[in-house]
Amino acid sequence: MVPQMTGPTSAARYAGTRVHRVEDARLLTGYGTFVDDITRPGMLHACFVRSPFPRARIDGVHATEALALDGVHAVFTAADINPEVHELWYSIMGKDIPDTPRPLLAEGEARFVGDPVAIVVAGSRYVAEDAAELVEVDYEPLEPVVDYRSARDASELVHEGYEKNVAGRLRGGNKDLMAEVGPSAAHVVSETIHQQAYVACPMETRGIVAEWSGGEMTIWAGTQAPHEVRAVCSRVLGLPEHRIRVIMRDTGGGFGQKVAPLREDLCVMVAARKVPAALKWIEDRRENLMAAGQARHEHGTASMAFAEDGTILAANIVHTQDVGAYPTPWPVGTAAAVGMIFPGPYRVPQAAWATTSMFSNTAGRIAYRGPWQFETVARELLLDIAARRMDIDPVELRRRNFLAADDLPYAMATGMPLDHISPREVFEHALELLDHDAFREEQAAAREQGRYLGVGTSSYVEPTTSAMGAFGTEGATIRVEPTGKVNVYVAGGSTGNSLETTAVQLTADALGVAIEDVNTIQGDTAVTPFGLGTGGSRSGSMIAGAVGTTARTLRERIIAIAAHKLEAAVEDIELADGRATVRGTPTAGLSIAEIAHTAYFDAASLPPDIEPGLEASGRYRAEAMSIWANATHVCTCEVDVTTGMVTILRYIVSEDCGPMINPNVVEGQIDGGTVQGIGGALYEHLAYDEDGNPIAATFVDYLMPTIAEVPVIEHGHIETPGPGPGGYKGVGEGGAIGAPPAVINAVADALSPFGVTITDLPVTPASIVALLDEVRAS
Amino acid sequence: MKPAPFDYHVPESVDDAVGLLASLGDTAKLLAGGQSLVPMLALRLAVFEHLVDLRRVEELRGIERRNGSLWVGAGTRQAVIEASDEVRAAAPLLAQATPLIGHFQIRNRGTVGGSLAHADSAAEYPAVALTLDAELEAQSPRGRRTIPATEFFTGVWSTALDEDELLLGVLLPVWEGRCGFAIEELARRHGDFALAGATVAVELDCDDRVARCAIGLLGLDSVPRRGSAAETAAVGRAIHELDPQEIGRAAVAELDNVPADLHAPADYRRRVGAEMVSRAWTRAVEEAGRG
Repeated sequence: MVPQMTGPTSAARYAGTRVHRVEDARLLTGYGTFVDDITRPGMLHACFVRSPFPRARIDGVHATEALALDGVHAVFTAADINPEVHELWYSIMGKDIPDTPRPLLAEGEARFVGDPVAIVVAGSRYVAEDAAELVEVDYEPLEPVVDYRSARDASELVHEGYEKNVAGRLRGGNKDLMAEVGPSAAHVVSETIHQQAYVACPMETRGIVAEWSGGEMTIWAGTQAPHEVRAVCSRVLGLPEHRIRVIMRDTGGGFGQKVAPLREDLCVMVAARKVPAALKWIEDRRENLMAAGQARHEHGTASMAFAEDGTILAANIVHTQDVGAYPTPWPVGTAAAVGMIFPGPYRVPQAAWATTSMFSNTAGRIAYRGPWQFETVARELLLDIAARRMDIDPVELRRRNFLAADDLPYAMATGMPLDHISPREVFEHALELLDHDAFREEQAAAREQGRYLGVGTSSYVEPTTSAMGAFGTEGATIRVEPTGKVNVYVAGGSTGNSLETTAVQLTADALGVAIEDVNTIQGDTAVTPFGLGTGGSRSGSMIAGAVGTTARTLRERIIAIAAHKLEAAVEDIELADGRATVRGTPTAGLSIAEIAHTAYFDAASLPPDIEPGLEASGRYRAEAMSIWANATHVCTCEVDVTTGMVTILRYIVSEDCGPMINPNVVEGQIDGGTVQGIGGALYEHLAYDEDGNPIAATFVDYLMPTIAEVPVIEHGHIETPGPGPGGYKGVGEGGAIGAPPAVINAVADALSPFGVTITDLPVTPASIVALLDEVRAS
Repeated sequence: MKPAPFDYHVPESVDDAVGLLASLGDTAKLLAGGQSLVPMLALRLAVFEHLVDLRRVEELRGIERRNGSLWVGAGTRQAVIEASDEVRAAAPLLAQATPLIGHFQIRNRGTVGGSLAHADSAAEYPAVALTLDAELEAQSPRGRRTIPATEFFTGVWSTALDEDELLLGVLLPVWEGRCGFAIEELARRHGDFALAGATVAVELDCDDRVARCAIGLLGLDSVPRRGSAAETAAVGRAIHELDPQEIGRAAVAELDNVPADLHAPADYRRRVGAEMVSRAWTRAVEEAGRG
C-alpha cells in the first residue's frame, strides 16, 4: 500500500518551525489551572485510609470515632462503594479481555501497603487526614507475596483463582528456537537482565473533583484522556455519557499514570453521589509513590545466536513482569510487545518470545512511557555484552546488523511490519555528533591516567500512533468565528506535551492564517470531539489528521465563497496569509474576516449550494496500523572506580520522528523521556523491603535525577516521512525507551578493563563497587 | 501530608522562648528553619501540640569573634553563613561545609541551630562542630550552660539538650597558623544527605609535621564521629611520611555501627568513608602546606 501523504500545503508557514509554546504564558505566570486550583461552593475533601500491611484480612472497619470529629461528613468503606459499580473496563483494551480484579476499595483483604480501605469525606483535607487516623480497621496480617520472582512458588495467593500467582502468559514463535539454532551458531550469548520498579512521578500528583448535581456529574480531572474519564465514569456509575462532563485544563504530567482513571478516582466518583457538594481528592506525594502504581519491574533472559562475523542468526526473550496486586489496565497484552519488538532495528531472521505476568502484594503495574521498553533494555545490554565476548566493538557489531534502507519494508521475525525507518542513519548521525573515534582516543588516554570513561549506545524502533480500536480515530472541530478568528477544538488536553501549540500551528497552516489568529479549546468533553487522549505517542499524528481532514472542508467552503464573490474560478483561488486571492491578480482578494462575515451575516450573498457559517467537524482515521519511529541514544560517562560514582559527560539523541511539527516540542519530549530513563538507569528505585513495605515512599529516598545530574542533551534529527498526515510520527515515549541501556552500556564500557558485566538496574555507586569487588575476587 | 493540629507560638526573645518551653513541656517543639521538622510533621512522623517558632528571636542571630572563637547564633540562616567573609576567615571548614547542605532554597531557611539540634549524623554541621571541638551554648530556666560538641550528640536525632533547653549559639575555636581544612562527601545526587563524608582540620609545624589534626566522620554512625585513632597516629609525624589512604582506613577502623539502607550497605559506606577521609586529608594538608 502506498501511503497517502497529506503533508503541509505550499502555504505552510509554521509546521517545522520553533514556534513558541502557546501554553507557556499562562503556565509561567502562575495562571495554569490544575485540579487543585478548582474550588466549588461547599466543596468537600477526601482522604483515603490505606492499608499499612502488604497483605491482611480486613475483619472490620470502625468509623464511629472518625465520624464524631468536627467537620467529618462521611466515611465510606467497600460495603458502601463497591456495590455501586455497574461495570469497569477501559476503552484501550475493550471489555472482552480476561481482565484482572480491581475492586474500588479493598474488600475482605488488603493486598499491598497503600491499598485504599476507606474514604473519609470532610470539610478540609486537614480534618479528613485527622479523621483517617481515627478510622479503626481490624487487620489480620497475612503472609504476603512480595517478590514476583518467587511468587510462582509461594504458598500464598494474591488473588484466589490465579494459580501460582500467574496473571497471564503469552508466547510467540518457536519455543525451541535457541536449542535448534544454538549448536550450529558460532556464538550464543544469553543473559538474564533485571530492571527495578520505577515510576512516572508526574510533578502534579493525581487528583479529581467530582460534583453530582441535578442528575449530572461534572468532573475536573488531572488526566491524559478526559473522554476516557467520562467513558469509565459512565460505565462505573451506570450514568448515560451525556449526563457527564469532564474538564481538564492543565495537568502536570501524566506519562501513562493518568491514561486511565484508577481505583481512587473511581471511588471519588462513586462517593460524590453520596455527599451534598463537590468532592475533591488531591493525592499527596507519599500516596503517589505508594499507590499510584508501579512500572518497569521485570526481568528477562535474552539470548542471541551469532555467526562468526557477528551476524545475528536468532533472538529469543523469556520475560517475566511484576504486575503487583491491581494492575491497570490489563497488563498481559502490553507485555506481548516486549517479545514482539525484541528484534528491534536489526536483521534478525528468527525470533521467539514468551512473557509471564506475576501478581505480588505490591502496587499494581500501570502504563509508563514506553511500557514495553524492556525489549530495548534487554536487547541493547545483551548486544554490548555479546560484542565484548566476541571481541568486536559494540558499535561495529551493530553496524553489521542494522536494517538498511533497501531491507525495507521488513517484517520482523515476530511479525511486526517495519517501514519508513532509518536505523543506520540515526546511529551514524549520533556517533558523528559524538565523534566516536575521538572519544575512543580520549578514553584510552584517560585509562593511562587511571580514569575510566565509557561510551554506550542504544538503538530502538518504536510503534507510535496505533490504529487499534478506539485509538484509531481522532476528531476536530474548527470554527472560523464571524471576525475571522479561529477556534480549533480537539480532545487533546495540556499535560505538558504542547498539544495546544501543535493544534494551533497545524490549524494556522491548514487554513493559511496567522498563528496569532488561532486559539484552541481542549480537554472538555462537553465541547470537544471524542478522542482517547494522550497515549501511545499518538497525539501529533492524530491531531494533524483530524485538523487536516476538518480544515479541508473549511478551505473548500472559504474558497467557494471567495470565488463566488470575486467572480473567479474556484481553481484560481489561493489561500494564504489570511487572504483568499485570485492567482495572478494578488490585488483581487478577500480577507478571511470578510469571508467569515459574509458566511455568518450575509448568507444571502453566498453561493446557493454553500452552507452558511464557517464551522466544520471532521474525523480522521489512522492510515497505518502503526507508524514506526526510531532513534539512537549515545551516552558517555566517567566512573570513579573507588566510589562507584557515575558522572554523565555527554548525552546525544539522534531520532527519526519524521518531519517535525515543532523541533522545540520534539526536543522537549525527547529530553523529558531521556531524563526519566537516566533516572531508571542510575537513581530511581521504587523499592520494597522483604516484608513488603515500601522503602522509597518520599523524595528523600526515591531519587529523581535533577538538573545537577543531567547534562545538556544534544539532538540530531533525521526526518523520514511516515505513513500518515504530514509524514509525522510519534515522539512522546522514545526518550524513556532509549535512555536506560545507553547509560548502562556507557558504564559497562567504562568498566570493561575490569571484565565487569552489568545485568541489574539500577546501577548505583554501591552496586558498581560490589561488581568490581566480585571480579577482583574471582 | 497535612500535619496534625498544633498551636503556633512566635516568641521574640530568648527568655520568652525558654519560658514557653518550660510551660508547655514535652508537647512543644522548637521550629528553627523547619527544613527537617516540617516534612516530618507533614508526614505525621512527628506530632506536637505546640510549635515554638524562633524566627523572630533576634538575639539568636549573628556571627562574631569572641576570644579566639567564632560565635554563630543558633538562628543564623545557612545562607547567611555561606555569604559571610567572617566565617570564611575564622572557620573555613564551616564555610566549605555549608554549600553541601541540601539546596540553596533549603539553606535560605535552614539555621545553624536547627541543624545542630536536629543532629542528623549525615548532616554537615554536627560533623563540623565535632571536628572543631566546638562548644554549644544553651539556656533553660535553670540558666545558661556550655556543652562541648563531644558530649552534645547522643544518638539518632538526639542531643544532650534538655527538653526545656534552647540552643543559643555555637562557639567554633579559630585555628591559627599553618592550617588546612577540607570536607569531602559522597551523595547520590547533588544536595542529598551524604552516604559517607569526612571533615579534616590539620595544622602543620614549621617542619611540616602534623602539629594537630581532627578528623570528623559523617553518615557513618548514629552520631557524627571522630577518627581518633587516625588523629593520634598522625600527630607529630612528617606529612610526607603519612599515607592518606592509611589515614582513611584508620579513621574508619573503629566504626561498629555504620548504617545501611536502600542506597548503600554498611561495607560500602565504610570504604567510601575511608576514601573521603583520604581525599579530605590530602586537600587539607595541601592547603596547610601553602601557609
